Amino acid sequence: MTALCPSTVDELGAAIAETAATHPRLLITGNGTAEGWGAPARPADATVDTTGLTGVIRYSPADMTIAVRAGTPLAIVQQVVREHGQRVALDPARAAQDATVGGLLATADAGPLRTSHGSLRDLVIGTTVVLADGTTARSGGHVIKNVAGYDLAKLFHGSLGTLGVVAEVVLRLHPAPRAVTTVRVPASAEHGFQVATHLVTSGVEAAALEWCAGPDDRLLVRLEGTPDGVADRVREVSADGATVLTDDEACEEWSAVAATAVGEPGDTVVRFGALPAAGPAALGKIRAFADDLGLGVTISSSVPAGVHTVRVHGGAARAHSHLLAALHDDHHANVTVLRRDGLHTSSAWGPPPSAIRVMRAVKHRFDPTCRFGAGRFDGWLDDEKGLS
Amino acid sequence: MTGDVRAEFVAALGADAVLADPVELRAYECDGLTGFRVVPALVLLPRTAAAVADAVRICARERIPFVARGAGTGLSGGALPVANGVVISLQRLRSIIEVDPVNRRAVVEPGVTNLDISRAAAPHGLYFAPDPSSQQVCTIGGNIAENSGGAHCLKYGFTVHHVLSADVVLPDGTTAVLGADSPHLGGYDLLGAFIGSEGTLGIATRITVKLLPKPAAVRTLVADFPSVEQAGDAVTSIIAAGIVPAAAEMMDAVAIEAVQAALDAGYSRDTAAALIVELDGPQAEVDIQFAEVRQLCQNHGTTNIRVAGDEHERALVWKGRKAAFAAVGRISPDYIVQDGVVPRTLLATALTRIGELAAAAGLRVSNVFHAGDGNLHPLVLYSEAAGELERAEELSRAIAELCVDLGGSLSGEHGIGTDKACSMPRQFSEDDLATMALLRAAYDTDGICNPGKVLPTPRLCGEKPGVHRPHPLEAAGLIERT
Ligand SMILES: Cc1cc2nc3c(=O)[nH]c(=O)nc-3n(C[C@H](O)[C@H](O)[C@H](O)COP(=O)(O)OP(=O)(O)OC[C@H]3O[C@@H](n4cnc5c(N)ncnc54)[C@H](O)[C@@H]3O)c2cc1C
Repeated sequence: MTALCPSTVDELGAAIAETAATHPRLLITGNGTAEGWGAPARPADATVDTTGLTGVIRYSPADMTIAVRAGTPLAIVQQVVREHGQRVALDPARAAQDATVGGLLATADAGPLRTSHGSLRDLVIGTTVVLADGTTARSGGHVIKNVAGYDLAKLFHGSLGTLGVVAEVVLRLHPAPRAVTTVRVPASAEHGFQVATHLVTSGVEAAALEWCAGPDDRLLVRLEGTPDGVADRVREVSADGATVLTDDEACEEWSAVAATAVGEPGDTVVRFGALPAAGPAALGKIRAFADDLGLGVTISSSVPAGVHTVRVHGGAARAHSHLLAALHDDHHANVTVLRRDGLHTSSAWGPPPSAIRVMRAVKHRFDPTCRFGAGRFDGWLDDEKGLS
Repeated sequence: MTGDVRAEFVAALGADAVLADPVELRAYECDGLTGFRVVPALVLLPRTAAAVADAVRICARERIPFVARGAGTGLSGGALPVANGVVISLQRLRSIIEVDPVNRRAVVEPGVTNLDISRAAAPHGLYFAPDPSSQQVCTIGGNIAENSGGAHCLKYGFTVHHVLSADVVLPDGTTAVLGADSPHLGGYDLLGAFIGSEGTLGIATRITVKLLPKPAAVRTLVADFPSVEQAGDAVTSIIAAGIVPAAAEMMDAVAIEAVQAALDAGYSRDTAAALIVELDGPQAEVDIQFAEVRQLCQNHGTTNIRVAGDEHERALVWKGRKAAFAAVGRISPDYIVQDGVVPRTLLATALTRIGELAAAAGLRVSNVFHAGDGNLHPLVLYSEAAGELERAEELSRAIAELCVDLGGSLSGEHGIGTDKACSMPRQFSEDDLATMALLRAAYDTDGICNPGKVLPTPRLCGEKPGVHRPHPLEAAGLIERT
């Protein structure tokens, strides 16, 4: 397949404009770490490969902002800013596989730090995007506080490559914590929810509160701050049966969390959102269902946010699809497939959200000829027929 | 507007929900940017979300432009009516539907004031983080539209970071829920795009906000500096040390003088700059970092540090800071509040250039600002009676555009509205603006939802921009300005 491989925003705009007639259907790719997200994209006439669109455009450590080309892997950005004691407060599992910043924005991905810092939606302060006709458009800027104009970055958050190409991203940075300690508390989903709630309301300001299932059920509490401050807070957190982890142990635990989100060949990985207090019951139901179907599940839940990532392994493909259908029944539009190897059908999405008309209208205005990412949203976007 | 349409509004909403009396309509002719005034054809006061949808459906069918209105404290003319259009006031949708302490959220109607949300949450040890100085009066609907900030947004972010979902009436009169029970949802972040859209994409009728637990510890200090530049450097060094203050606010000598004259908030009169730094969080972290902040202020030449010893003293520090605009208003017959942003490291440059611009214009400018995020609020002092209005407007516009030239933004929190729509081409290219217009058209095909705001239009940009006069609520001493 033809690949457009621009290395500048201008080249990108030109390539997209020039191929309108010859290559009407385009598939935007970064490092390919989210190939399994959503429904399968339909065959395209060309790919828009963003991996040549890399590098830091402007880094201002004192302002704690960095502008990068969207094909830059997050891991590289982290390396650059770490030298100045800073970080992008985002830890999605795919970062370890060199996921690009643009790809992470388009997938709305995040990791355990979502508990304290949200997702890229909350960290992006400016973007440049290229639309289906090659138009290059900026929104936001280089300052953290800015309400001038509409925030187009939000639209692209979760767009899965169906609106346009994210070409440049300006990020807000945070100080890298001087000290980090993880405490592990053995806990059922229900108990984990109670402990997490208690910790949130006690004002201990945990950076992450991740409940994990498989093999053991446990709550991971990550505290970040100054060395003395963290030591003090660890004492507050440590209850009966809690273990303060060594750096190696902590690293192992957090790698396991990441592994849940990535999955293995043959697995299905699903992320869904629910009211935080509804988490334990929802997770209990999934585990019971998986047991019945002979499936294995590994779970990682950002408890205060109510965001759950479920890796399904083993068993029959039909059973994977049943489990997904059950999730759709309960959590409707708020279920995203992150890996679909295990699925029996290609359908990935549940019933569309109530705002689907707005989503379709946005798609129609931004990409009227459906050049980008046809199929990713399945029946949600009627992009095979073209939109009216 | 025909009598038939008016009758239809009356039939749908009830006679007491439709204002047509010219005297009553006058109360809605402007928002906090009082230099722009337009009397609408009708004001509608629906009581329910369904009635809002009914009203918008009639507008859509008849192509009648409508403007949503909360408390009318906006400072950019966002709620300015459209002639021959209707104003849909959300003032009667004021119930707090639910406070859910377990999930730490509240479900409210759009006319609920910002402060009432925190009041309702307080018994559970929770609060709503965005804290604009107008919080006693401004509504959550207005906060969403403007993506309002507050003194504490350096650490806690803006309204967009604290809203989970909103029921909205779209400009065609249909309804949709944007957002969900958790931040994870399938599809585009339509809620994120709606927040900060200045009432141009629809009307929020029911909003679910996040509530935060009150921080375990709070410590506040005021450090005096011999120059605003040194104070700015101190802020930069605090942030470079990896500290994220809850707030870092600055006042220059003119503002301090005015505040001390208006109310004695304990600020030193003989200093060039006062820097307020507030830290909050777990006690241990706050204590350690507070000591570091003191040291850093000392390294940058502070001449005096006043630490708020208790909650009363802390409240006084903030009272002084929040009264700064009104206080400056007292030492000048008229003034314009500007709201621009520069990269924080260029604060000193920006302030020097503003000083030069002011000197060239022969006018005084006082600077009160959110130092942590480079959000400047220069107050341009002038006397309309002395014929200085035009010069003041020009100076104010020059300051906003200077912010853009320094790599910043036309607005940090007050919005573009009517006021700055014509300056938008300074910050954004034609393609940028045309792309923003695509988003607007996706929500509002017919262009009836708060037309003329945010994006420049030839009609508007031919007209003369307006000027600040004290908001009626401010004049009455009900609210203060930051
Ligand atoms: C003294 C003073 C101090 C201030 N301090 C701050 C501050 O510290 N930080 C800050 O950010 N702002 C501040 N402001 C500005 C202002 O208070 C905020 O912008 C506020 O959010 C406006 O709320 P409101 O209810 O008054 O909205 P209005 O002024 O009535 O409307 C503002 C915009 O919101 C739209 N709107 C209103 N309700 C809805 C709805 N339900 N759905 C959709 N759109 C709607 C309107 O159409 C309009 O475009 C201050 C203003 C004053 C007068």
